[in-house]
Amino acid sequence: MLERALCALAIPPLGAVSPRRPLGRQPLAMLSLLWLAAVALGAVLAPYLAPTGPMATDPSRALLPPGPGIWLGTDFLGRDVLVRLLWGGRWTLWMGVEALALAVGLGLPLGLAAGGTGGLRDMVLMRLVDAWLAFPGLLLAMAVVAILGPGLSSVAVAVGLAAAAPYARVARATAREIRAQPYIDAARAVGASPWRVILRHILPNAAPALVAFAATQLGWVLLNGAALNFLGLGVPPGTPEWGAMLAEGRAYLRDAPWAALAPGFALTLTVLAANVLGDWLGQE
Amino acid sequence: MLGHGFRRLLGAVLVLWLAATLAFVAMQLTPGDPAQTLLAASGASPEEVARRRAQLGLDDPLPVQYARYLADLARGDLGVSWLHGRSVGRMILEQLPATAELALAATAFGALLGVALGLLAALYRDTWVDTLATGLAVLGLSTPVFWSGLLAILLFSLYLGWFPSAGGGDLRHLVLPAATLGFALSGSVARLVRAQVIEVLRMPFVMAALARGLPLRRILLLHVLRPAVGPAVTVVALQLGFLLSGAVVTESVFARQGLGRLAVQAILWRDLPVVRGVALVGALAYLLTGLLADLLQVWLDPRLRE
Amino acid sequence: MRRLLILLLVAAALTTGCTPRPGGRIVYGLTLSPSGIDPHINASSELGIPLTSVYDTLVYQDPKTGEFVPGLAQKWEVSEDGKVYTFYLRRGVKFHDGTPFNAEAVRFNLERITSPDLASQKARFMLGPYERTEVVDEYTVRIVLKEPFAPLLDSLSQVYLAMASPTAVQKWGSEYQLHQVGTGPFLFVEYIPGDHLLLRRNPDYAWGPPVYGHKTAQLEEVEFRFFTDPATRSPALESGEADVMGEIPPQDAARLQGSKDFRIEAVAIPGVSLMLFMNTARPPLDDLRVRQALLFGTDRRAIISAVFRDTSPVACGPLAAVTFGYNPMVCEFYPYNPDQAAALLEQAGWKDTDGDGVRDQGGQPLALDFYLMGWGYMPEVGQLIADQWSRLGVRVNSQVVSYPEALEIAKEGRHHLMPFNLSGSDPDILRRFFHSQGGFNWSKVNDPEMDGWLGEAARLSDRNRRADLYSQVQMRVMESALIIPIRDYVNLNGVNNRVQGLRFDAQGWFPWLIDVTLAQ
Repeated sequence: MLERALCALAIPPLGAVSPRRPLGRQPLAMLSLLWLAAVALGAVLAPYLAPTGPMATDPSRALLPPGPGIWLGTDFLGRDVLVRLLWGGRWTLWMGVEALALAVGLGLPLGLAAGGTGGLRDMVLMRLVDAWLAFPGLLLAMAVVAILGPGLSSVAVAVGLAAAAPYARVARATAREIRAQPYIDAARAVGASPWRVILRHILPNAAPALVAFAATQLGWVLLNGAALNFLGLGVPPGTPEWGAMLAEGRAYLRDAPWAALAPGFALTLTVLAANVLGDWLGQE
Repeated sequence: MLGHGFRRLLGAVLVLWLAATLAFVAMQLTPGDPAQTLLAASGASPEEVARRRAQLGLDDPLPVQYARYLADLARGDLGVSWLHGRSVGRMILEQLPATAELALAATAFGALLGVALGLLAALYRDTWVDTLATGLAVLGLSTPVFWSGLLAILLFSLYLGWFPSAGGGDLRHLVLPAATLGFALSGSVARLVRAQVIEVLRMPFVMAALARGLPLRRILLLHVLRPAVGPAVTVVALQLGFLLSGAVVTESVFARQGLGRLAVQAILWRDLPVVRGVALVGALAYLLTGLLADLLQVWLDPRLRE
Repeated sequence: MRRLLILLLVAAALTTGCTPRPGGRIVYGLTLSPSGIDPHINASSELGIPLTSVYDTLVYQDPKTGEFVPGLAQKWEVSEDGKVYTFYLRRGVKFHDGTPFNAEAVRFNLERITSPDLASQKARFMLGPYERTEVVDEYTVRIVLKEPFAPLLDSLSQVYLAMASPTAVQKWGSEYQLHQVGTGPFLFVEYIPGDHLLLRRNPDYAWGPPVYGHKTAQLEEVEFRFFTDPATRSPALESGEADVMGEIPPQDAARLQGSKDFRIEAVAIPGVSLMLFMNTARPPLDDLRVRQALLFGTDRRAIISAVFRDTSPVACGPLAAVTFGYNPMVCEFYPYNPDQAAALLEQAGWKDTDGDGVRDQGGQPLALDFYLMGWGYMPEVGQLIADQWSRLGVRVNSQVVSYPEALEIAKEGRHHLMPFNLSGSDPDILRRFFHSQGGFNWSKVNDPEMDGWLGEAARLSDRNRRADLYSQVQMRVMESALIIPIRDYVNLNGVNNRVQGLRFDAQGWFPWLIDVTLAQ
């Protein structure tokens, strides 16, 4: 039953949603793609757009409100918030991608192996995943950061590991659903090995749903990275990763709301865009 | 039926053992010497630190430590906190009610909001209502609790003066933390309910009910919402781990007591007995909610009572 | 005549109407969720804030003069060799549970603290080379040390060595910390860990030290709550959910100071200032010139103003200026001078040969590993320093680590720089940081002469001679450029103006709640 629910979370059920329309006819999906492209472009072009870099401080210009030249104001050390947002796209996207890659890379084979074969292997693997899920995610992440040592990659690994368990669950659920289809029986009847069935028949059919779920997990990953920063266990000080900027800027919320609002909105828009695109990809 | 129950129990024991082992392994791999951490700031000499390490049993070979760890556990003895110097069992029992209260209230709020948003989005599918409701749901999914919590405090506590920002005790104190954490939960519920309702709306029995001239509200309540809520319950249950994580931040922002803060402190101080205790309680709660969610779902969706 | 009398009476009534009256209740905001609150076992500073008013100590330290004054001990004598302290105890003192306070109670407490089974995290070590306690008669007690230990009176004046009721300790065992019983001006009513701690006025209190302004507590109740998130402290104070709040962030303090309902009581905390330890055992910081260059190249004034909004003094040396033994001469060292910093780096052979903005030597860039912890404004300070030094051609790799990891890194000497601060009113605290065997010897210094001074100063009872020795230590620390001092710690207490008479003990952390009153 857990599976069924998770499946429903990941995959809009067959026939429940309109068939995938071209991007051009789904303005929301189009806008989402544009936003992500803009963030990526900003991250790539940051060295040219803002050559001074995201770390250069100037306390004499601290907490200036938005205005000409400093379109999003400055933070408590006099750094341009827009410049940091642009550069921060690099850290933020990188962390998201790294964590997701880990979650999928670990969760997908685990889930497929369990759901695609069933039996004792399924049972043991799933209890392992259960223990993993039952261990509070943030605590697992804290322990991982402590073990790997500090840094952006550790944070990414930590939240990626925590995200791998639900991903494995969803992969298993999807695989089981597909395994129940008649054509899988047919493939097995003609003597295809279990792994061949998984790779050739289950994986391709499960792909849209799994991509969609990965997209929705991006939000979870970014939020938990930010929470680690809030708890003082995150990226190196001054890193313009948006979650870190938000955690730092919130202390100045009443004097300089822009220093927190800007990364907050950037984070929300990115997660929103990933979710919308995920839905779009998950459509048949 | 008995076989199923037995397998479930066996699985539960396995999960508990794995969670406890995970806690042990994680704390072994974590750098930092617990004895040194406890005593360094007090100017204890290296010999005194070494003596404390021996006292905590940290000089024994790892297999011995692990065996002792499991043996204590099997006896139901959670040990004494190295940091607090008190029984871990008592400490957890003290914090559990506050955490349970927050988790329940946040779940209730998140489920209600999520169901409402999901239903609206499904009924007005592909209109601006859908966009707005879905957007709000994703806002919940994408806003860190430490951020929404502070905004809530400034708005509802400081400027409007409607609710207290800190502490626990009565319902008024629970409103802001539960709403903040619940808002974060509502996003996934809303998405799920939306998809489920859209699915159910296409079912023949809904068409039939409509054809029989039953009022729409009745149809929604009896035939659409009930089966659609079931999976949502399970997803909420699945998010328990997330809930505890979210609770860490919520407790800190709203100056509440709770297991989350206890656990973070224990990890930061390498207080193994407390980490083990919290991990076990987390695993136990996860298993229990899973069971409850399954039962609830069967009750909600008669199709599942084969 | 009668008319004048009435007038006087009215005036008197009016004035009393404006002066504080006894009774009332305040909420006091603490900033950490304490890690256990048995003062004999646990080590957090937060526990002392409520518990200083639950217990009495044998002696008290006058924060104005630094002198020790009678507490539960009316007077005391120190033997010629500095190893035997004889205390003559006050009579008629009773614990909150009715147990009489006497020499046996003192012995019981000290034996409890030093028992290995208790696993004390702080109190045990404050007793230094403690050997035993002897009961001479009902009201005379003798503490015998293995060797002289000058900070003993300072230790005995702190809540960690407070006198607890032997009856209660025996009754509650390991749960004693939820049922504490002392002799102080407030009774310990209840503690719900993580939620609140409640104190109620002790009406029978009559044995307060001369430093207390009142005979009994003026407030009826004090409730403590735990505000771990700095950003929520000022909102809680402003919305009236707390009346006193410790450690207000500097940017919020500026706003509160401008309001008519609240004030900031800034209390300078004695001890070791916030400073960066430079690892003298790891190249390139084994070169004195490089360390000096970093000192000259750090604009501390700018840090204080940007991060602390000028609420803290710039630190000059290892000791905060309010600490006994502080030597103001250290302020002559290393004024901000980037040119001199650059010159020293050039002399040491560090030049930017490849034009990438980072100095190098023999193909190695001048890059330093900087580990810091996520609290105490260390990340904020670290960012400014990294940026200031980048203009000098020094690259800093900063990482945030947890406290246990920091200790591990320091032990292995993997750091170039690591910040820390620690409070404490006795300058013996320097021994932990600058003695070659010190637990916090993060500079990896090994200076036999300094070891000698620190060792001797810990044994001397003559305050003037101690101060001289600590002066020498401070000068040596700065001459050898072991540290980069940043700021003296100042606790910014946000206070609702209806709260009056808030004073703090010599540690700077612990309020004397007995004197706190509420304005009408």
